[in-house]
Amino acid sequence: MAMITFDAVSKKYPTGVVALDDVSFQIDDNEFVFLVGASGAGKTTILRLLLKQMEPTSGSIFIDKVDITAKGFKDSTLVRRNIGIVFQDFKILHDKDIFENVALSLQVTGAKEATIKSKVEEVLDLVGLSEKKRMFPLQLSAGELQRVAIARAIIGDRGIILADEPTGNLDPKTTWEIMKIFKKLDGQKTLLIATHNADIVNSFKKRVITVKDGKVQSDRRGGTYEL
Amino acid sequence: MKEVLNSIRRTPYQSLASFLILFFALFLTIFVFYLTSFFSSILSYVETRPQVIAYFDVDATEKNILELKKNIEKSGKSSEVVYISQDKALKIYKELNSDNPLLLEMVSANILPASLEVYATKPEYLAEISKFLDDEQIVEEVSFQENIVDRLLTLTTILRRGALFLSGFLVLISIVVLMTTTAFKIALKKDEIDLMQLLGATTFYVRKPFLVEGMIFGFVSASVAFGVFYLLYALMFPFLSSYLTGIPSLSFYSLDSYGLSVFPPSIFFIVLSYLFTVIFGITIGLIGNYLSTSKYIR
Repeated sequence: MAMITFDAVSKKYPTGVVALDDVSFQIDDNEFVFLVGASGAGKTTILRLLLKQMEPTSGSIFIDKVDITAKGFKDSTLVRRNIGIVFQDFKILHDKDIFENVALSLQVTGAKEATIKSKVEEVLDLVGLSEKKRMFPLQLSAGELQRVAIARAIIGDRGIILADEPTGNLDPKTTWEIMKIFKKLDGQKTLLIATHNADIVNSFKKRVITVKDGKVQSDRRGGTYEL
Repeated sequence: MKEVLNSIRRTPYQSLASFLILFFALFLTIFVFYLTSFFSSILSYVETRPQVIAYFDVDATEKNILELKKNIEKSGKSSEVVYISQDKALKIYKELNSDNPLLLEMVSANILPASLEVYATKPEYLAEISKFLDDEQIVEEVSFQENIVDRLLTLTTILRRGALFLSGFLVLISIVVLMTTTAFKIALKKDEIDLMQLLGATTFYVRKPFLVEGMIFGFVSASVAFGVFYLLYALMFPFLSSYLTGIPSLSFYSLDSYGLSVFPPSIFFIVLSYLFTVIFGITIGLIGNYLSTSKYIR
């Protein structure tokens, strides 16, 4: 189960900028959703709120019916262990090899070495990097690095995958390779992908939530990229 | 452990700074600890020695001497007065010179004076007792250790306070240096720390390698400092032995029955002081890195 609910969420920064204004939506378990909008529309704020990197000014956020914004709820660790995150700039550690980079995701949760080994092998196979597991990031292309990041995000029991512009730094061919991996996960994990790439959004024909000036402008199943 | 070793390898100069300051602080702490133990032990030893000894004319009668002994005891200024007769003096002399037959042949009880060994209740009574004995006609010579106990006590107190201040100051510097070098290491690993936290690592999980690193620095610095100190102690031992001729052993705060001999150092005392140093070193390392991680990793 990994259902996400935003209930009248607003976020106003100390500078006075309103990043989100009364945003409400619900994402079902194992649903594939694109989050689109211009730069500064509030996409990243939604992702950061889900990761508990910040708290909303008002409103509530639920993950599997647990209010993660409730006053008594302080444990961001529990929330984050259920979420895998993929960044535009990959955030791969350059002094660790590929296996170690992916393994980190399980190590921080206290998983046993034997479990880590088998699960990393499994997930590297899924993203097609089994042969390169002992290579270091500097030896890999940008597309391969993003596949490492995806492997790190999906490993283990993380029910939600958040991707913030995952193909923003990639060429068109590699972009499609990465999106194929996300497609493989469709129906297995709850996916929320923030993107600017209209081609991808239009070709996938999945649910699209469009944000503009901190508000949900449209929310359509089988939608297209419209700004 | 691999993480810790990598961290040390990646920041060699910061690691060296942490090690050196800890080494210096711990070496000095061991040094002042031994020095104060040494002086305290000497003080304890001196306190067990007679403080005023009156030697009598060889023709002084035992009756007169015992009468004088009674008068001193009655004054309330002595805690103990011991009478050493000529025969007993000879016996002691024979014991002390048992390995020199020539000296034994030359001496008989007649030429050894009887004596009174007086232990004062307070050091300030020593001069008074000494004068009282000196004024007696049957007393030929008074041996008075001045106020050596008092001086030793003052010296030990000053030394202990000075040592405490100096050690405290160095420990404080060590903690500050450790905090600074660890803060630098945290800054170097900022991306990794942020990522680990985003992946769901607990604060303790992120802090743990730094805490272990502090403990390792403490342990290694303490062990090296202790090793270097004992090397120097071993080199100085012959000089100390000749300086302390006649003193069989010095026990740590009169705890000889527990095998805590400072001079010559017993195995038990060495092991105990090593453990103390290591625990102290590990604690400093842990405190320094705990404070730093508390401030910079939340």
